[in-house]
Amino acid sequence: MKTSSNPFIQYILDILIGAKSLAIGMWVTARRLFKPIITVQYPYQKITMSPGFRGHIEFIRFDDTKTHHCVACGLCARTCPSHVIKLQGEKNRAGDKKVGRQYIIDFSKCSLCGLCVDVCPEQTLKFSREYELVFYQRWDTVIDIMHRLEEKQ
Amino acid sequence: MTELIQIIKDIYAFFGYDLTVGLVGLVVLLAFVPLNVVFMVWFEMKVAAHITLRPAFMRVGPHGILQNLADGIKMLGKDLITPKLADKFLFWIAPIVIFVPSFVGFVVIPFSPLMQIKDLNVGILLIFSFSSLTVFSILMAGWSSNNKYSLVGAVRSVAQNVAYEIPLLLSTMSVIIMTNSFRMSDIVAAQTPVWYILYQPIAALIFVISTTAECNRSPFDLVEAESELVSGFHTEYTGIRFGMFFMAEYTNMFIAASMATVLFLGGWHGPFLPGVIWFIIKVFFLIFIIYWIRWTFPRVRFDQLMNFAWKILIPISLLNLMITAIVLKVI
Repeated sequence: MKTSSNPFIQYILDILIGAKSLAIGMWVTARRLFKPIITVQYPYQKITMSPGFRGHIEFIRFDDTKTHHCVACGLCARTCPSHVIKLQGEKNRAGDKKVGRQYIIDFSKCSLCGLCVDVCPEQTLKFSREYELVFYQRWDTVIDIMHRLEEKQ
Repeated sequence: MTELIQIIKDIYAFFGYDLTVGLVGLVVLLAFVPLNVVFMVWFEMKVAAHITLRPAFMRVGPHGILQNLADGIKMLGKDLITPKLADKFLFWIAPIVIFVPSFVGFVVIPFSPLMQIKDLNVGILLIFSFSSLTVFSILMAGWSSNNKYSLVGAVRSVAQNVAYEIPLLLSTMSVIIMTNSFRMSDIVAAQTPVWYILYQPIAALIFVISTTAECNRSPFDLVEAESELVSGFHTEYTGIRFGMFFMAEYTNMFIAASMATVLFLGGWHGPFLPGVIWFIIKVFFLIFIIYWIRWTFPRVRFDQLMNFAWKILIPISLLNLMITAIVLKVI
């Protein structure tokens, strides 16, 4: 910024430098006026969440069995720090592998730490991209993710 | 339609020219002023939103154009609250007084050679003298509210308007001495080959800055500075009383922009399109510039505001007026 010892020249300089900076400011907003808008009209348009987003857990559907690989080992339920997960498996015949039948999470207690996803030996759990998590009552936060997987078919 | 023309003819036969034009003009204004304000608010929201990369209202009507109309109707239904210790009479009359100048201003504005209610020979003076009533009303509102924020806002408004009226009048004078007339239509007619903005660019700039300050628009909106004074002089007003202040503010801006159009941008002159459309285009271009300024610059401090008026605008506009007078004398 230029300065001058002469007060009159300083006065003129102040006006000119001020006018220039105002013009630069106007130019910045004028360019933004013609940029595309970046917000979306939420209920009508939705953005896809990034891969790093953590919703509640859900099962991955595998192509070989057309369903999950859960063997109801219970590691996820035991490693969960908040006791969110409750699951039940069954064997159809003697000698068969155990298969998960019921898998219920209480999302109101979940802290999205992701230990269950890390610990799963069959790697059949993942984070969902669900972000519209508004519930009318506490019981609604209890989510049957096995049922959810069937519904999504 | 034919019945309506017959009614107008009957009124014309009974009242004569002046009263008929006045009556028709009044009816048109009563419809035009609120709708114009609704459109201007919508336009401001759109400019503001697009500068901040948002789309603004999109739900009510196409691109949300009916949103502000719905807001206005909602405002009509609100309860009118008067504070207990307020000065009842002044509190009641202030919103009425503020609406007078914004209505009277339309009397002399020439939208086109025909669309002017009364071509007074002191048109410019009429608008200036009535626009001082706005300050009066703001002071009444601030004083009678019995609220410290309102009073501070009103006092600021008075100081600001006194300061900015001087460069406003001086920059107008440099146009008036070129045309030798206060009549709006004469000033417009004098600009047929070249608009006065080319002869008087500095006066035009000072005029726009001063009217921005006169209308209490940002960056000179210390009167209703939301972040420090709640909302200044209309803090205590509710419902349609607040709506009157709001409408008056936007209508004043429209009048200021149309005065700038008449004085510097050649009024209704322009190729191809009819005069009234050119006039509206120019007015809304100036209004867009005011909005653009609002959403670019932060609010000035009070000492900056005063220094800007007294140390920069007034000397420069005086110098501009002097040079104009000398040049006119020499030529």
